[in-house]
Amino acid sequence: MKKRYGFVIDVARCIDCRACQVACSVENRVPDNHTRIWVQDLGVQGTFPDLQRVFVPYNCMHCENPPCTEVCVSGATWKDPNTGLVLVDQEACIGCGFCVDACPYNARYLDEQRGVVDKCNGCLQRVEAGLEPACVATCVGGARLFGDLNDPDSAVSTALREARSVVRLDIEDGGVDPDPNIYYLNLPQMDSLDLTAHTGQPLVTQSGTLPRSPKYSPAEVGWKKVLTPLVLAGVGASFLVQAVYFTKQLIDGESEFDE
Amino acid sequence: MNSSIFITRRDFLKLSGFGLGGLALGQFLPPAVAHAARAVGSLDANGDGYIPTMCEMCVWRCGVLAKVREGRVVKLEGNPDHPHSKGRLCARGQSGLLNTYDRDRVLTPLIRAGKRGEGRFRKVSWDEALDYTAEKMLAIRDSYGPEAMIFSSTHNLSQVQFENLLNGFGSPNYGTQRSLCFNAMVTAFQLTYGVEEPARNYENVEFILLVGRNLTEAISTSETGDLMDALARGAKLVYLDPRFTKTAAKADEWIPIRPGTDSAFLLAMIHVIVKEELADCEFVKKYVVGCDDLPNAVEKYTPEWAANLTGVPAATIDRIAREYAAAGKNALVHPGWRTSNFVNSFQTERAIATLNALSGNVLTPNGCLIAESPEASSVPLGKPPQPPYPRISARRLDGVPWKYPLVPLKLGVFQELRDAILTGEPYQAHGWFISRQNPVLSLPDRGRTLQALSKLDFIAVVDILMNDTAWFADVVLPEASYLERLDPLHVVAGKVFIRQPVIETQGEARSALWIYKHLGERLGLGEYFQYADEEDYLRQQLAPLGLSLEELRLRGFVEPEIAREEPEEITFNTPSGKIEVYSETLAQAGFSPWPTWEEPPYPKPGEFYLLTGKVAQHTQFGTQNNLQLHKYEDEPRLWMHTDPAAERGLKTNDLVTVTSPVGSVKVKVLVTEGIRPDCVYLTPGYGHLSKGLRTAYGHGASDSDLHATYTDPVSGGQALSQTFVTVNKA
Repeated sequence: MKKRYGFVIDVARCIDCRACQVACSVENRVPDNHTRIWVQDLGVQGTFPDLQRVFVPYNCMHCENPPCTEVCVSGATWKDPNTGLVLVDQEACIGCGFCVDACPYNARYLDEQRGVVDKCNGCLQRVEAGLEPACVATCVGGARLFGDLNDPDSAVSTALREARSVVRLDIEDGGVDPDPNIYYLNLPQMDSLDLTAHTGQPLVTQSGTLPRSPKYSPAEVGWKKVLTPLVLAGVGASFLVQAVYFTKQLIDGESEFDE
Repeated sequence: MNSSIFITRRDFLKLSGFGLGGLALGQFLPPAVAHAARAVGSLDANGDGYIPTMCEMCVWRCGVLAKVREGRVVKLEGNPDHPHSKGRLCARGQSGLLNTYDRDRVLTPLIRAGKRGEGRFRKVSWDEALDYTAEKMLAIRDSYGPEAMIFSSTHNLSQVQFENLLNGFGSPNYGTQRSLCFNAMVTAFQLTYGVEEPARNYENVEFILLVGRNLTEAISTSETGDLMDALARGAKLVYLDPRFTKTAAKADEWIPIRPGTDSAFLLAMIHVIVKEELADCEFVKKYVVGCDDLPNAVEKYTPEWAANLTGVPAATIDRIAREYAAAGKNALVHPGWRTSNFVNSFQTERAIATLNALSGNVLTPNGCLIAESPEASSVPLGKPPQPPYPRISARRLDGVPWKYPLVPLKLGVFQELRDAILTGEPYQAHGWFISRQNPVLSLPDRGRTLQALSKLDFIAVVDILMNDTAWFADVVLPEASYLERLDPLHVVAGKVFIRQPVIETQGEARSALWIYKHLGERLGLGEYFQYADEEDYLRQQLAPLGLSLEELRLRGFVEPEIAREEPEEITFNTPSGKIEVYSETLAQAGFSPWPTWEEPPYPKPGEFYLLTGKVAQHTQFGTQNNLQLHKYEDEPRLWMHTDPAAERGLKTNDLVTVTSPVGSVKVKVLVTEGIRPDCVYLTPGYGHLSKGLRTAYGHGASDSDLHATYTDPVSGGQALSQTFVTVNKA
């Protein structure tokens, strides 16, 4: 049976120690001015002394419907049917950067030195050798799980089955559902922690029935057919601009404590 | 690539074919590290594989599996067999190879060529550097006596041989930096339980009180993981800290207590528990000295009394005391680690020790606090033979024990040592031999520390980098990094672990065992260093156990079978054999025999408490030059609450001047709700002066420029949060 690798992240266990980030950068020789993995600090919320602070780790979501692969000019990036991972063949990549803009999570970067795009590959080189991805293996708080979502006995499937609530960082606006494969446990309720404040749009969708089956809607297929040539022609599509805008807000909008 | 490092696949097959014969043959072949690893089977013919070793990015000492490819270490993994790592490493541990490959490594011995602090050195041979060092040290001994040489080093695995250097030389002056860290905790638990640091067990814990122990940022990998497991299981965490740290973010209840008043909060908890008779009376009556008189001793410490001091409502204190007591043996008040906060920090620790005694959580099976002395589970390692030390009659410059009678000798009072250099009392020090320490950044009042250095005739520093103290030294001796050297063995939980090189030593760097031996021989102390080399030292350690170094090299640890007898009666290593909530030792030294309230100083209007603390990306003062940690750290800024910031017209990233009684720094401000309005906070370890640290130099400000020197009279601990500052827009 084909694998569908994904991550389950227990937000309650993340302590923002950044061991995952260092482990990833060393394992994958990520340049000092870039990273493949983030811990989003949602900032100190509330008024002293009634405060809350939540850390949301993320990296490439290895989406079921990855917008990034749709816009690739050279065919260098694809969703690997055998593992479910979204991968980049850096031999074939021409460094045009369309996929960097297309990713609704800003999870890709252009390595200026090598002229290629780089991103989380689920540490496939480790996984093939029987190891966990570097970020998962070293997670001090035990927040990160990685495994085959198609295997009902995997640690990720078990965690999802036993979870009280599961949340994904999803974008519903624009008629596309990237269907991401990072599932969050114990993300606080939105009313107590307003994730929408900076975008005006919901970025987080609650669902108790995840993982859901991957499927394209007709609208999405249409979107792909129309959009890809547009992007190839160098014309920004409104959805992409919007999606990138929203996620940039998520990623850049808050420095550590700014309210 | 150096052709001598290369070994072909065919050569390797030949070696493997010969089996043990091949192993013996291989000992004559360079390079040593790769060959040793191949011989035991850690590396394959291409030099690829995993070599087990031990982390040194902090003192928790996690087990490491170092991934090596073609003679370079490319990745570090936590060793699943090591109880401190359990397969994981923190950010610092993950970044460790960047310390080894730091572009600023000092890789040859250096002798100062310009003025002190000018940073001009000339590269010299080891012979010249060691001859020069020995000559200077002997000249000081001949002119002023051995006590005029200070030796300092902290908590390294090579500490035993370092102590041979200073004790053999005949100096009583041993600086360990521990008074900047855990003196209060160790002294209090020694006096109360007879152990230095009781271990914690989170297996069954239901209620955890952390008194400023910021476990998610001051990380001990396994313990932090255990805490997160306990919380996921539903254990309750109550956290006292004036600052909303990441641990506060994970706590069920964060109590932003007024700085310096932790002991008032804890004494009131004790008051509630004994008054309402909520303690484990059976345990207490049997094992605790002072149980009958404790109610009288804490009579006045009511929650209402504590509320005024701490700013925490009486009802909250009362409720937490009851919740703590209700959890019984599954309740834990963490002893803390860096407990150098106020001159009353010793009393805070005594109150913590008392609360744990009342819950009966020690010595029960799976109890949350393990007060077993480390000797109980130790392994009888061998050591090289050595003669007794010369008799030392000079008093210690740091005042132990003549001024600080209860401070353990091996802890000392580091800040007092520095001040004695300046005052020349009780006598003048002339030289300082410093191994892997950075007092220029660690000690309070950096201005005074630099003045003290300028008074000395000779300063030698052993380190892997040009740290800030090395920058002002006369000789810098380059140590091999922890991934390049063998250290004496380390025992954890009945297993013997090895720190071994995973790559060839770079440049001319040498292990501490080698440096101390070769310096010792030049000082006429050869008899204290009876080992041919590092490997011989380890073989002598293993000899009584009949264990082979090769097995240890391959697995990273060996577990000797040692028959242990369960003690029939539970006794504590105290004068009474019981837990001494009432301490006659304290009474005789003129201190309160009971945990007691001592009023700390308070800031004047317009002043702030300057808090110190930790971040998960750095260890003390030695990791700021690591490029991976630099990459993922937060910009070092002064935390200030929104209200005082608004009064001063400050917003985040504005530059401010912070002024204390001893100095002033300029730093960017971070405006946040996450700190008490009467406090500001600065992460230590920034503001490096050494231009030999190109990443860390000039980055951020050093709190050592601001800290005034205040010493706890009982434990000798420096009060690092007792300095009050003013803050204004720069």
